[in-house]
Amino acid sequence: MNTTRRTLVLGASTLLAAPAIIRSARADAEPIRFGWLTTMTGPLSAPGIGFDRGVRWAAEQINANGGVQGRKIEVITRDTQGDPTKAVNAVQELINRVKVHSVFGPTNSGEALATTPILARAKIPTLTAGVVDSLIDPAKFPNAFRVAASNTQWDDAVRNYTLKIVKGKKIAITADATGYGTSAVNASLASFKKEGAEIVFDGVIDATQADVTPDMLRMKNSGADVLVSWTVSAGMAARQMNARAAMNWDVPIVGHPALGTGDIARLLDKPANWEKVYMIGYRSSSYDASGKLPPRAQALVDKIKGKVQLDDTLLWWILSGVDGVNLIADAVKETKGDSSSEAIIGYLNGLKGYPGVFGTYRFSPEQHNGFPPEEVVMQQASKRRDGAFDLAPGYT
Amino acid sequence: MLSAILASGLAIGAVYALIGVTYNVMFSASRVMSFTAGQLGMLGGVLGSAFILRMGVPILPGLVLTLATCAAIGVATEIVAVRPVLNSLEQHLYVLSTLAFALMIQQLVAIFWSTEPQPFPRLIGIGSGGPEDEKFWLPLVACAAVVGCLEFLYRRTLVGRAFLAIAEDNFAARALGLPERDLRMASYAIAGAIGGVAGFASGEMLLAFFANGGILNFYGFVPVALGGLGNNRGAIVGGLALGVFQQAANFLVGGVFAGVAVFAVFIVVLLAAPQGLFGAAPARRV
Amino acid sequence: MGGFRSLAPWAAIAGFAMLLPFAFNEFWVVIGTRAAIYWVLVAGLNLAVGFAGQLAIGYVALLTLGSYTASILVQRYGLSPYVALVGAATVGAVSGVIVGLPALRLRTFYFAMTTLGFATIVTQVALAWQSVTGGGIGLPGPEMPAPFDSTKGFYAFCMGLAGLCTWMSANIASSRFGRALVALRDAEVAAEATGISKTALLMTVFLFAGATGGVAGGLFATLQSYITPDAFTFDLSVLFFIAILIGGRGSILGPLLGTVILTILPEFAAPLVAWSTFLYAVLLLAIVLAMPGGIAALLDFSNRKPLQSDRAIIPRPELLAELLPNGGGQDDIALRGIVLAFGGVRAIDGLDLTVRPGEVHGLIGPNGSGKTTTLNVICGFNVPEAGEARLGAAPLPAGDSRGRAGMGIARTFQTPRLVGEASVLENVMIGGTISGQGSFVESLLRLPRHGRDEAALTARAMLALRATGLETLAHVRADRLQHSELRFMEIARAAMLAPKFLLLDEPAAGLSPDEIGRLGVLIKAIARQGTGVLLVEHHADLIFDICDQVTVLNLGRELAAGTPAEIRAHKEVVSAYLGG
Repeated sequence: MNTTRRTLVLGASTLLAAPAIIRSARADAEPIRFGWLTTMTGPLSAPGIGFDRGVRWAAEQINANGGVQGRKIEVITRDTQGDPTKAVNAVQELINRVKVHSVFGPTNSGEALATTPILARAKIPTLTAGVVDSLIDPAKFPNAFRVAASNTQWDDAVRNYTLKIVKGKKIAITADATGYGTSAVNASLASFKKEGAEIVFDGVIDATQADVTPDMLRMKNSGADVLVSWTVSAGMAARQMNARAAMNWDVPIVGHPALGTGDIARLLDKPANWEKVYMIGYRSSSYDASGKLPPRAQALVDKIKGKVQLDDTLLWWILSGVDGVNLIADAVKETKGDSSSEAIIGYLNGLKGYPGVFGTYRFSPEQHNGFPPEEVVMQQASKRRDGAFDLAPGYT
Repeated sequence: MLSAILASGLAIGAVYALIGVTYNVMFSASRVMSFTAGQLGMLGGVLGSAFILRMGVPILPGLVLTLATCAAIGVATEIVAVRPVLNSLEQHLYVLSTLAFALMIQQLVAIFWSTEPQPFPRLIGIGSGGPEDEKFWLPLVACAAVVGCLEFLYRRTLVGRAFLAIAEDNFAARALGLPERDLRMASYAIAGAIGGVAGFASGEMLLAFFANGGILNFYGFVPVALGGLGNNRGAIVGGLALGVFQQAANFLVGGVFAGVAVFAVFIVVLLAAPQGLFGAAPARRV
Repeated sequence: MGGFRSLAPWAAIAGFAMLLPFAFNEFWVVIGTRAAIYWVLVAGLNLAVGFAGQLAIGYVALLTLGSYTASILVQRYGLSPYVALVGAATVGAVSGVIVGLPALRLRTFYFAMTTLGFATIVTQVALAWQSVTGGGIGLPGPEMPAPFDSTKGFYAFCMGLAGLCTWMSANIASSRFGRALVALRDAEVAAEATGISKTALLMTVFLFAGATGGVAGGLFATLQSYITPDAFTFDLSVLFFIAILIGGRGSILGPLLGTVILTILPEFAAPLVAWSTFLYAVLLLAIVLAMPGGIAALLDFSNRKPLQSDRAIIPRPELLAELLPNGGGQDDIALRGIVLAFGGVRAIDGLDLTVRPGEVHGLIGPNGSGKTTTLNVICGFNVPEAGEARLGAAPLPAGDSRGRAGMGIARTFQTPRLVGEASVLENVMIGGTISGQGSFVESLLRLPRHGRDEAALTARAMLALRATGLETLAHVRADRLQHSELRFMEIARAAMLAPKFLLLDEPAAGLSPDEIGRLGVLIKAIARQGTGVLLVEHHADLIFDICDQVTVLNLGRELAAGTPAEIRAHKEVVSAYLGG
């Protein structure tokens, strides 16, 4: 099989990538080392596994087509298990031992907060998929570029949908009691308050709590007519949806993209519990009325379908992974094979509409939040096919 | 509303109580507190889901298989992590050996099962999520059944009396010619099965989730600590009270404060009454 | 003990630490920094876990507190990172005591659980207290000023602190405090009888461990560059805890190597990252089951040499004049009307007993007649329900087992209570713990009084070993001794106090007839120095041979009392007990 041989060649090139050999080889044959940090195992691994499929697919495609100016893309993956300590060690290894040309990740914000300053000190071009706003600051971190939505964009999308489409009057905001969850609740609270909305409840729930009925009762008693959820825990999200049904509490749930993961589907008492759940999504992974994705995303899905598993993950994770690799590959290509930090950062700073499969990115030296806000949309959790969703009511 | 909180609190409390009994049964036979107690509860859920949903075994045989496997793991605990360190009980090496064994179980489940919660089969199909739902009363039924069986075993059967004799005085029991080692292994098998029952009966609520082990370890230990080591009645009362307290705290204050409240109450009560509220005085030291 | 050989591994580690930044790339410098930071914490924790045997498994809480304190002081209050580290040490020390407090009341498993609970609370508070900690978003760690702002500079800074912590913890380990900690772990009852204050000592150690944990936290925050509650995982707690155990309890070098190994291991096994906790657990189980002594036991070559098999214990009573120079004083120990019951059974039922200085007083009787219980009442281990115990005019406070050493009452135990992993000399030195003058801090920093204490204790312990005939075994691990040798070792340990009264609980049990003879001579010689000896014994020959007074107990009452000659003639005693 073709794939097998390719995998073998790729594996062999990884083995041979010892510094001595690299130095003796011709400079332009040196692979482009792409550091890829994500959570592949452990409780936060669902997004990482999705992103990883995109990253590997894109690298394999490029290498099968002769690489970038004759140079292979070498993906050096480090599983950080959601642990900032492991992430810091891994990023130090990538910088100092592997000597990568760029880094993608970590996908988890808590880890990215720790690795970003370190990568900035080493001036390594960094693509960030984390949402936390403070990850991007062109003055402090001139090397870091966000290739996904920011938390502000997410908050805007959720707030607008909650207030304008769902027409929520009394809002309950909740998340799991993790670092991300507590910060997301606070950010969302501030965002709603800025618009003068009435927040009747805000608080976190232990993601491992066996039964969330008491917490849901509290929200119901507070008079909430919409539930904003920022949990990334499939177990907690499913428990909330089940409790909502058991309590005959007919409120919409609006929130984090994880509300649509396949894990939730399996944990629901009945599929109907997934109705009236609207979560953040992207244009590129939303079906239009005719059941089609936007052209660039549709083309990619047509290509990878059957070769990359789609049904157990979210499509946008894969798309974002693909874009991460392609951005760096194109940077090296456009700079005539120059893989220095300055060249890659310079290329990224000059992008005025890079047509990725996940989104259209725009960067400038002053603006490193490259994802267009208009491509952040809301989707219907229950209307899911191949990791992509129908748009939520109110979107066209 | 009150009924919903009570149902949920009692259900969770029954699971804590059963894990407390698991601790106690192991302790009575060996004077050892084992970190595997909570892991057995976790395995009850994971194995139940694995047998019934993944392998398609019908529910009753699935229950039997789950309990048998948990009992076997109980025995394995005894052989691997308890027996080798019994000779140096006063060095408390069992804390380390059982911690190691418990971590191994948890990590194997994380690696080979999943780190995400997995569904657990609907066992009977009564109720639709409200307070009358089977997921809330099955743990209570399991708890009552376990208490009944243990009472029968200890009061009415010869083997059960032998268990009690061992619990009362290890050396004297051995001197009487009781097969101490076999009885200890049997106790660990029973403890394993009780942990398995706890996990199986609460599977619909707790789901088949690897992290339940650590949670049950702690919350199952609280009733033991409050009720006094080896005191099953104390464990049951303590467990149910803890479950209701926890869910009431979730309803009243919620989130971080509820979690901290449980820990704080636990530590304060323990410091005030180190032998537990129903516990006996410490043994002679010299 | 071969000063050079014991220093060689330290020299090798120090040399390697100095070469590392020049021999390897910066990644390894970072890993080395991390190992040094973890060791700063473990060095302190080791005294609590490895030495004192307290199973503090949730110690990541101290790292968390230190990290947040240092970061908050720098980021929110603009203090210098050095001041912030001092602040982290202070908060760590206070919290260390709070985490440690339950250890005074709770045993092992219970204590372990409370430390886990504490770790959870700390993380939850860090999450919830957003205005200060930044909540889930966290906050940046302190940035060190030049010259410690570079990777290598920070490495040097952390290594310096690690070296300092190693030195301090080694100073404690080799001081009377270190020996007392191990005694609390392995022989708590004996530690109490020698007057060691568990409360004061454990709290001091938790204070120190908390301080190093806090400092480690501050350094950790700098290394991480940014801290969020997610960084403080249970896995870190497990790492700290297991590092100590695979290193070996009661060792400094072992846990140091353990920390380094556990820090580096994952970097060699990147594909196995999902298995790392599992592998730690396997390692822990293997160590507990197969090698309870850990790395330290593997490295302990000197104790693998076989001991001379036909050795004999030849006490030298003539040395007792130097060992017990002050005599026993004038006061008697007097028990009047003591009653004590264990659950319905009256172990002592109205006993009067007087033990005089300079006399050997035998206490005999069948099993369960209350002999050891009587000893325990005198030593404060059992609290009588009625009656009083006095030393001269002063009452012996009931239940104050720790205060007896200070009053000049020493004892041995029916089953020898010893620290198996410590040398015979160290075991004996434990007996003199309360005679030391220097404080914990003086020992920590090796100030002059610490040196004087150690010299005096060593000299005195060697004298006690010569007097009891064990001096050739001074540097042998105590658990390699024969049972009879342990009996003499306990007497040597008790003699360290220069006691007014020495209480011996069946010292002749398990001894050969020759050894019993020598024991008798030794006991008589001790009494001749003015020390009153209360001897509980089954060997009637020994009793009648050396005692000045004998009391016979039966069912917790005095059956007969008098000189050996009178007892030998006592009809009831002869028929009921002596079987003549």
